[in-house]
Amino acid sequence: MRETLALMRASWLTATSYRLGMAMSLAGLIVTILPMYFVAGALQPVLAERISNEGGHYFGFLVVGVIAFSFLSTAVNAVPGAMASGIASGTLEAMLSTRARLGALVAGLVGYGFTWTAVRAAMTIVMAVLLGVRFSAGHSGVAVLILLLIVMAYFAIGLMAAAMVLAFRTTGPLPQVVLLLSGLLGGVYYPTSVIPSWIQSVSSVVPLTYGLRALRRVWLDGAPVGEVVPDVLVLAGMAIALLTLGIGIFAAGMRYARRAGTLAQY
Amino acid sequence: MTVLASPRPLRATRTASAVSIAGLTKRFFVRRTWTAAMRAPLLREKRLALAGIDLEVAEGEFLGLLGPNGAGKTTLFKVLSTLILPDAGSATVLGQDVVRSPAGTRRLLAPVIADERSLHWRLSAEENLRLFAALHGVPRRAVEGRARELLALVGLDATAAQLVGTFSSGMKQRLLVARALLARPRVLLLDEPTRSLDPISARALRSFLRDELVGNQGCTVLLATHSADEAFDLCDRVAVLDRGRLLATGPVERLAREVGDGRYRAWTRDAQHPAWQALGDRGVVAHVTEAVQDDEWTRIDVDVPGGMDQAAHVVDLLTCAGVRVARFERAPLTLAELLDRIVARRAGGPDA
Repeated sequence: MRETLALMRASWLTATSYRLGMAMSLAGLIVTILPMYFVAGALQPVLAERISNEGGHYFGFLVVGVIAFSFLSTAVNAVPGAMASGIASGTLEAMLSTRARLGALVAGLVGYGFTWTAVRAAMTIVMAVLLGVRFSAGHSGVAVLILLLIVMAYFAIGLMAAAMVLAFRTTGPLPQVVLLLSGLLGGVYYPTSVIPSWIQSVSSVVPLTYGLRALRRVWLDGAPVGEVVPDVLVLAGMAIALLTLGIGIFAAGMRYARRAGTLAQY
Repeated sequence: MTVLASPRPLRATRTASAVSIAGLTKRFFVRRTWTAAMRAPLLREKRLALAGIDLEVAEGEFLGLLGPNGAGKTTLFKVLSTLILPDAGSATVLGQDVVRSPAGTRRLLAPVIADERSLHWRLSAEENLRLFAALHGVPRRAVEGRARELLALVGLDATAAQLVGTFSSGMKQRLLVARALLARPRVLLLDEPTRSLDPISARALRSFLRDELVGNQGCTVLLATHSADEAFDLCDRVAVLDRGRLLATGPVERLAREVGDGRYRAWTRDAQHPAWQALGDRGVVAHVTEAVQDDEWTRIDVDVPGGMDQAAHVVDLLTCAGVRVARFERAPLTLAELLDRIVARRAGGPDA
């Protein structure tokens, strides 16, 4: 835990040393959310009926989708990004030769990214509330749990991509394909019910589909938790299966890199 | 540079051998060109990086690893640091097997891989040490004092709060050494630690390594170097590697004697005298090299096979021929010459 916190602190100090970049990142939130608000208002009449059981208001629907997708992006990109930059900078080799456990190192390397995403998500929620979105505060705990399951499922993909970085110096198209499929078919910007039926079958294997549906039902619509249990169970099953696979593949990638001597090759 | 405060008691398994390497072998796949890969897609070519290395390093010993680039020194260090898995053979560090017990090995050993990039450039020197103190498991209460102590040791206390990105290469190099010492390792691997240091800092670091680290703390040090000064001044023993093979081990003076016993140096005013050529033609001396000239005197290095008696004979011949020789003495080999001769001797070459 101490190693993880030390690495997160180091990432924070590094990030704050780029002051302009940090300020731009926060300012970018405001610039993004306002156009979203106006576009959502324009599309509200068209989509109102389609999203009636997911809050009924397109702006809120969109905000939840964007927040979940930002966590998903971090989950997919954080570990391979950390490995690639650690290899390129040479810091990975230095860290791996310390007494710290691999799990603690990985957690520390991605911890700041997730914390920053959470801060941005919190700011987005505050702005959304100011712009009229009503979240079911009583279901916030369940919402956080669902977000965690989404992160777990996609973190597994990140681990697989990181294994490819360790072994082959590139993630290949894996993260982009996953992000594209999840963004288009997982219901981030529109309900999956508007997707043509022949593609909908693909969206049923996307973990985000279940996560977002459950998240919006409880958080925007205030539906009883019992109603989303089936979606949450499917999501949890996918998360556990993917995470097991992801950890196995990451461990294999690390073994391969140690055998091939590629931990410090860039 | 100052000297570290008294170290805490060491807790490793008691063993006479700090590092024990047996039959260590490592091959790496060779990266092929696109054309070669297209022609024979299934062919996997391998390059031998370590070829069955056997080596014992005693506790508290200062061992130098010598060899040309690509000899396998860094690969050996990375295997010992658990960053590379060997293909065959074994290596233990104070009883901990580097493959079976990597975590145990890392508790006892620290590498200084002389790559400035491995520092966090956007953090200060002190923050770099704080981070790695946490990763090494240095007790929280000891971190601040330990970081200050080490920064003073490597002469960076005045710039502790400065971003590492603004440091010179030498400063980064010194910080790398400080970082490796954080956890008070029992075995230290140093890969060209004085490469970017100015002569004064290099001398101070060498003196710290020998007197404090090895002398007082009993740390075992393996030093990969291309510097003759380092090898001759610091090392109890040296191991010579070439293309993954261990060619020789032993005290550096003994190796130098074994392979370069016949090297003599003469100071003369008659460097162009035909007697020198005649000595070479008659096979009395080999490899006559005219090295340095000042206004009047020339330094000539000669290899005299046959020991001291033959050397005395050479002096007689030169004197009788009227060559003015002011001094005739045994000359030390440079590190490059030593390596050349060891490699040639192993290959059965002309110097064998």
